[in-house]
Amino acid sequence: MYLYIYDNFLTDKKYQSSLYRIENRLVDLGIKGRVVRLNILKNMAEVVEDGIRQGVKTVVVVGNDLSFSKIINIIADKNVTLGIIPVDNKSKIAKILGIPPLDAACEILAQRIVKKIDLGMVGNYYFIDSATITNEETTVKLKDYNISPIGKNNIVSFNNLGIFTPGKATSDYKSDPTDEKLELVISAEIKKFDKNSPLTIIPFEKIKVSCAEPGAFIVVDQVTKLKPPATITVAPGKLQTIVGSKRLF
Amino acid sequence: MFKDDNPAKEIKVAETIIGPSVKVEGDLNSDHDIIVDGEVIGNIKTKNNLRIGKGARVKAEVVAKNAYVAGQVNGNITVKEKLQVTAEAQIKGNITASLLVVEMGAKLNGQCKMLDEVTLANEKNLPPKTTK
Repeated sequence: MYLYIYDNFLTDKKYQSSLYRIENRLVDLGIKGRVVRLNILKNMAEVVEDGIRQGVKTVVVVGNDLSFSKIINIIADKNVTLGIIPVDNKSKIAKILGIPPLDAACEILAQRIVKKIDLGMVGNYYFIDSATITNEETTVKLKDYNISPIGKNNIVSFNNLGIFTPGKATSDYKSDPTDEKLELVISAEIKKFDKNSPLTIIPFEKIKVSCAEPGAFIVVDQVTKLKPPATITVAPGKLQTIVGSKRLF
Repeated sequence: MFKDDNPAKEIKVAETIIGPSVKVEGDLNSDHDIIVDGEVIGNIKTKNNLRIGKGARVKAEVVAKNAYVAGQVNGNITVKEKLQVTAEAQIKGNITASLLVVEMGAKLNGQCKMLDEVTLANEKNLPPKTTK
């Protein structure tokens, strides 16, 4: 049984025709299910819990990268499969998973290629894409060595899904969200005319990050902020998700 | 004819990349290719290829299968197969390799030892080739 969750922002009128197209396509493909539109009175966690109690096995989120990131912590420890329908072509998560936007995503849902992908964890908080810290005084400690950025304005991020070089549409580095590893990526903050900043990329399973500066924080999937020091680990194969044949791994 | 085909020179995508804005202190171990363009203090050991870029500053013992060195290395370098030292390289330490290329302008201060077929064969537990 499918549960379709529409994120809050989709109440805007400009999304109406797109949502009709999606719903019609789902009916054509025979995978229509229960539809819930989030609002002030309904939050994602309650909707998912309700759905699971009623026997839902697949939860599909309609929205953007923020929508997809929000549901990760809700379903990571549950035995359900995640599907996504992006409403535009700007979604990094959808691009990596091989899911095209709008009604074309429904075909992917119907094909139902399911993969178990890794998630990252900052403490007890899961993330699907990345956790980032922008601070000069960051130190990262792996099992056998310490890493510290030299100079100012470096961005330290812990990536699961993929590494996109600033200014480039695709990544040169083939990151695999099923390899049971995360990647530590350190890049210089993007300057206006410097789209080819060199990167530092180191794969890891467990890392400790600390920051000498008191006001620093780790931004997790653009959704949550956590304070360092923190331990970042990989949760291998934690999330069962529907992917497309044109996925980047 | 000597073939200029050091795999370490042409690494395009490595598993581990130390960029120029990063300092690593400790033991860097890998089974795959490593590119170093930053600062490393400690040890670097890989079963595959290692490229040390022009701006890199390495104070470490280095062990690799193939290596391409264009930066500063303060430590011993042991390469199982091909070691290429470019004109910009500055090495203070001993080097050991089976095949060695040193470009004009490179600065080398240390001893140089060539691995011969007997040593390589012993490592692989094979009988060394004999010439008639």
